[in-house]
Amino acid sequence: MAQAVSPARRSRLLLGGLVLVHLAVISHQVDGGGGVSLLQHWLLAALSPLQSAVASVVGGASEAWRGYAFHRETYAENRRLGARLRELETQLQARTHRAQEAERLRDLLELRRELPLQTLAAQVVGREGVPWVRTLTLDRGESDGVTLDSPVLSPTGVVGRVFATGPHAARVQVLLDRDGGAGVVVERSRVHGVVSGQVAAPGTGSDDLLLKYVPERADVRVGDLVVTSGLDRIYPKGLVVGRVRFVGKGSGLSQDIRVEPSAGFDRLEEVLVVRRTELPLDTPHSVQ
Amino acid sequence: MTRAFWTALAIVGAVLVETALGYLVPQPGRLFDPFLLVVVYCALAGGETHGMLTGVAAGWVQDALFGGRVLGLAGLSKLALGFAVGLAGGRFLITSAPARALAVLVASLADGLLVPWLASVFGLELAPLAPLALVGRAAVNASVGGVLFALVERRLQGSR
Repeated sequence: MAQAVSPARRSRLLLGGLVLVHLAVISHQVDGGGGVSLLQHWLLAALSPLQSAVASVVGGASEAWRGYAFHRETYAENRRLGARLRELETQLQARTHRAQEAERLRDLLELRRELPLQTLAAQVVGREGVPWVRTLTLDRGESDGVTLDSPVLSPTGVVGRVFATGPHAARVQVLLDRDGGAGVVVERSRVHGVVSGQVAAPGTGSDDLLLKYVPERADVRVGDLVVTSGLDRIYPKGLVVGRVRFVGKGSGLSQDIRVEPSAGFDRLEEVLVVRRTELPLDTPHSVQ
Repeated sequence: MTRAFWTALAIVGAVLVETALGYLVPQPGRLFDPFLLVVVYCALAGGETHGMLTGVAAGWVQDALFGGRVLGLAGLSKLALGFAVGLAGGRFLITSAPARALAVLVASLADGLLVPWLASVFGLELAPLAPLALVGRAAVNASVGGVLFALVERRLQGSR
């Protein structure tokens, strides 16, 4: 006669089982180089429609809220300047908004024309929800030609690379992520190195990139332009990453170099995704 | 069945809040964790089994939509928190709003320390939160959680 298991014992057994499952799943991903694309793919495929729907609802609500806030602001103005001015102000704001959007899209289009690569424009629909990583979610996925490790660019510089794809969404590891990195070269002196993020909390550190593996005597100065070297075989050669902001003595034989990233990560709304199949090893010129 | 439905709905709500926050602030994860509130509330209301199952579900959704390259870290952290909070809820009287806010505060601090520690166990590099950021995040979670839990309880009592 089997004895009935008490609820407390059952919950502990369940806890043990679930912990073991988690340990196995995480270990499997880490052993596999940090990316179980199939798992990511399934989860993203299942959950991204929800996020996209939420993003569009929130986007609409956000626009409506902005509109509301704007109208409140102009109401005070109207009290002073009259109905005519209010109408003009409203029109002006709407046009400014459209002009800014057009300018952003024009920048993106110019970059697309300048790049000798096949690119795809994508919209940022989400950002990281945990404090330890820096990621973005894009509204383009495998059905649009986005593949794993596709570089992602903004008109001002390199943003990061795709680390998970779904049918209609992709997730991007931003350069600022501590786990992220790119092979770079200092354009003036041709000194090679690797940049990676620090993921510092706002107000407690900086969002600068670390330029690693630069020998102590290498010629690097504040203000030097840092571009991708192409040696990591992910980012095409010659794309702008940022400018050197600080050069100091590091520990060991390397220098302590901080690079101010040129892509405004917190303000990104539209980006370009480079198609991996089109990646040349050498991009002929720097795209700035 | 009803409990599972409301839990799923709460997790969907957390996705909505997290996505909405992404539009308003640059790094929403540093400020607030709605998934943690769902886990703590379910653990206090339903015990350790419900708490840890909610933790697994919420953690995995958070990992998949808002996390990093390796899935399961938030899942494992929230599983442990769901169990611990559920266990504590069964042994101590955590029914008043301040007590629940304190539970969220402690759970938030534990989550902030647990995830980087778990990552280091697996040889992954995650930048630990600065103490001030950790406490700030826990305080925001506790404040919002305290108010939300009180509102939900009041509504539930009204409907009974």
